[in-house]
Amino acid sequence: MDRNRKLLISILALLVLSSVIAIVDISMNMQQKHGMGISLSGPQVGPGIGIVRIEGPIQMSGTQSPFGGIPSAEHVIRRLNELEQNSDIRAIVVRINSPGGTVGATQEIYEKLWRLRKKNIPLVASMGEIAASGGYYIASACNVIVANHGTITGSIGVIAMSPNLRGLFEKLGISMTVIKSGRYKDILSSFREISPEERQLIQEIIDSSYRKFLKDVARGRQMSESDIEPVADGRVMGGETALKYKLVDALGTFEDALDKSRQMAKLSEDAPVYDETRTPFEQLLYGMGGRFMGPGLMVPDPRGLQFENSYRVEYRCVQ
Amino acid sequence: MILAELKSLRWADLLLYSLMDPRSLYRQINRDEPRSFALSFLMPASVAIIEIVTLSLLGKQTPFFYYKVTYGWILLFLCQALISVIAASLMDMASQFFGWKGNIREFITLINFSLFPRFFILPLVYIFRVFNFAPLFFYTFFSLGLFIWSALVVIQGVSEMHSCNFGKATVVFLFPAILIGTTLFFMMILLAFCGIGYLSV
Repeated sequence: MDRNRKLLISILALLVLSSVIAIVDISMNMQQKHGMGISLSGPQVGPGIGIVRIEGPIQMSGTQSPFGGIPSAEHVIRRLNELEQNSDIRAIVVRINSPGGTVGATQEIYEKLWRLRKKNIPLVASMGEIAASGGYYIASACNVIVANHGTITGSIGVIAMSPNLRGLFEKLGISMTVIKSGRYKDILSSFREISPEERQLIQEIIDSSYRKFLKDVARGRQMSESDIEPVADGRVMGGETALKYKLVDALGTFEDALDKSRQMAKLSEDAPVYDETRTPFEQLLYGMGGRFMGPGLMVPDPRGLQFENSYRVEYRCVQ
Repeated sequence: MILAELKSLRWADLLLYSLMDPRSLYRQINRDEPRSFALSFLMPASVAIIEIVTLSLLGKQTPFFYYKVTYGWILLFLCQALISVIAASLMDMASQFFGWKGNIREFITLINFSLFPRFFILPLVYIFRVFNFAPLFFYTFFSLGLFIWSALVVIQGVSEMHSCNFGKATVVFLFPAILIGTTLFFMMILLAFCGIGYLSV
């Protein structure tokens, strides 16, 4: 029996040895394929750069589902809070790919970034395809703005829109019965013309929001309002023009923005980058989102939402 | 106490019988000498890690491997242990249909030890992978072969447990597979109906 037992122990030892050899084999293969440092794509540790992504129209409460969705201002602020509390985060890169969004949501993100800036956390904005209007507003809270040559930016201004469907309704013989508590309760109604008084009221909101926009951009860019005002007429511009008007600090890619943030935080060139993680399963579901969802089934089109609420005043580049 | 038990090498008998004499394996489990229930869970734990390493050898090797051998191993071990418990429960139920006494604890131990032959998948597949000779085919081939070996261990163990013939023990072994298979089959049909209905809207 003892002989058999020893034989079995030998077999077990061989099994363990083959497992160890297999694991070493796999690790060596990985090193050959992915370079010497496993940490390049493996778990990262130590001081580094945090990434915050602002993509799509900005609104206070976005729609989130396993199939994707529109990230909200609340989500962005939560992410910024996470980075603020993480002692490993020495600088933040805000990746912006947004045409803007609602005034309140944009201002919330701006103020949060401003608070971080006052805490001396280096902030670098990296503009993607578009960072216009509210997108630019947010970028202006950062210490440095890096835009691509082809980035659409600018569009400093405020807009409120409401369709006038009166003609269509008359043609179809539809009339709307409105019972209201005050004369302005159905302001910006789609079923009638806007009155001059109503227009004045809306204009006041627009002007106030615009002044705030201008003031905040001037504060963030450390320029005077009068320097910005000539280009703050809602015009959109490319990266090069924005650089000319000092609305951005440099032309470059996302990688350049990362390099800049490393410099500002005095980090080494290979300091880790902590991006917003998405598990492979989430990536799969996000990828499926466009394919398996009917329009507006789970993630409504934000442009479709625009007309649901007539009171929506936006820092938005109209595309 | 534990060290003395380890040094005595009596635990090796359980593994040895798993490979060579399933009837003796059951007798050893029944005697509970050495205590085998907790020890048996080492089998699903080891099989989980061996399966992960084997599949990683055959597949694309990325740094995700480190997650697989850590978190993935825990998950696979839990799944494997759960499967053992469910299969044991169903086999125990089938045994009681035949009028035999229920004994789920021994069933779980037996099923866990029956996994031991599956340890050999790694060295077997590794050879074909080193020579790059149809490793995936041989993985499937050996997996099937080792599964049959495991099944024979359980069947003979059940036969010894209830002093029944090989045919009845096979029915007890197949009962969970048939039940789970039938359930999954109907679930798949329902899923297909739902999918077709959804896509055709």
